[in-house]
Amino acid sequence: MTDPLILGIESSCDETGVAVLEGFKVRSFVLASQTEEHARFGGVVPEVAARAHVEAIRPLVHQALASAGVHPDQLDAVAATRGPGLIGALMVGYAFGKSLAWTLEKPLYGIDHMEGHLYAPRLEFESYEPPAIVLLASGGHSQIIHVREWGDYETLGTTIDDAAGEAFDKLARFLGLGYPGGPVIDAESEHGNPKAIRFPRALRDRPFDFSFSGLKTSVVTYLEKAKLDGTLPPRADVAASIQEAIVDVLVEKTFNAIEETGVRAVGGGGGVLANRRLRTRLREEADRRNVDLFIPSIQMCTDNGAMVAAVAVDRVRSGATPDAWDSDVDPSMRLGS
Amino acid sequence: MKILAIETATPASSVALGEGGSLAAMSVRVDRRGHVGFLVPAIDFCFKQAGWDRQDIDAVAVDIGPGPFTGIRAGIATAQAFAAGVGAPIVAVSSLTVQALRAATGHRRIWSVVDVRRGQVAAAPYRPLPGGVAPDGPAEVLGAEEFRAILDTDEADTLVVGDWQALPETMWGGLHRVRRGRPRYPSADVMLEIAAIRAAHGEYVASEDLRPDYMREPDVQINWKTFRSEGIWP
Repeated sequence: MTDPLILGIESSCDETGVAVLEGFKVRSFVLASQTEEHARFGGVVPEVAARAHVEAIRPLVHQALASAGVHPDQLDAVAATRGPGLIGALMVGYAFGKSLAWTLEKPLYGIDHMEGHLYAPRLEFESYEPPAIVLLASGGHSQIIHVREWGDYETLGTTIDDAAGEAFDKLARFLGLGYPGGPVIDAESEHGNPKAIRFPRALRDRPFDFSFSGLKTSVVTYLEKAKLDGTLPPRADVAASIQEAIVDVLVEKTFNAIEETGVRAVGGGGGVLANRRLRTRLREEADRRNVDLFIPSIQMCTDNGAMVAAVAVDRVRSGATPDAWDSDVDPSMRLGS
Repeated sequence: MKILAIETATPASSVALGEGGSLAAMSVRVDRRGHVGFLVPAIDFCFKQAGWDRQDIDAVAVDIGPGPFTGIRAGIATAQAFAAGVGAPIVAVSSLTVQALRAATGHRRIWSVVDVRRGQVAAAPYRPLPGGVAPDGPAEVLGAEEFRAILDTDEADTLVVGDWQALPETMWGGLHRVRRGRPRYPSADVMLEIAAIRAAHGEYVASEDLRPDYMREPDVQINWKTFRSEGIWP
């Protein structure tokens, strides 16, 4: 079984993603995004997310199988995100995946969502192989992972407060730009000067860790003072300067890890990797240092079912033990544990 | 007609297999959490117990609530996937009706209640009929005082079933026509009876229309109160 057929289900946060893979070849890829449903609350509401997942899951699985031209009986395995994430959201996809696997008498693989992000570049770059340093940045996570081998991961750095995506969301709200923060700040920054305001870059003394709450405070303090002084800069300049501060830190810490480990490949995943400035800066820095860069397309960076199925490809090939039928979701799952 | 029934609308989860009014296998567990861990092993157990094959199932019955949301969703996702896997149609059943049907003995009007947390119950009245029950009014979400007020004006002898222990003991004082009884929770074996009748009439729910009957909007809190939502620019 060199190229197993795998159905992958992702429902850890605000995207219901389903895909069918044949080995690392994507046979189908479907996604129901809930962004608009959460926009009016300025962030992901767990109960709203869980409600949307349970409505979307059955039609999406049907669509993914149909557009792949795969009959459920042909599947070699079912993969579903088991954690980390929102418990009510995870339960929908995992319960569906488990029941489908049992009914079809196929193995079920419960997947770590973050490992899914580590695998995503494999779906687009054949030459992506460990060792690699991977920047994972989303609304819920900011981490730098050393992928030593597939299945052997070392978390080098993490955020000590807000995740990068969370910082984007909160600051976008404060700028009156709406939700989700990453894309709206990205768009607003296009017309702004990233050097207009020098916001602080935190945790210079900790090479791989992130902190974004200081930036938040600094932006708020700066703007309230500027408003009183009547020196409020154009919003685009503020947006571009915020983006530059966040991107600077993400890029710097990622390449600190490259420096430290001597690894020559950088990967990326998570919704924040959709940021155009971040993608450009990672490219520039990788080129400058002659390091290989594997940042997947935007749809593969954000949460999706294909990355979940991708992890299971190796599991099936190596004959790994599937999940027990009495297993449950693990909202606080930690990579490598 | 062979039916698989899945019940997770309350802390009591159960799975049952039945055919033609007889129960072939059943598995029950009372646990507020852990529906996802329980369901598939319970289904597996029932099939082994009954000696049935997955493909034998003609219809899947699932409790769509009202009740705690996460349990209902686990049941629906599990039922959807099983039904998709074997190509069986789905019958949607109300937790309130399941309890009322189990209680249906005698002449009393039945109020079936399910704990929906925060001091409230989902409640609906039923009228006993020979061999069953019929809805006798709409289902509502009620607090103790509202429910008490309804019971006060009710002229009929009444039996309250379901998780009435979720309501304060003080609300029952002086209600002479009202008795409280069992069952406390709905169960999958009773669902089989309802599902068999519905299935015989072809009353299936299209899988894209199958969704929980929450009876309540999500609690939404915007936690980020420190910052103004309107922004600083004029």
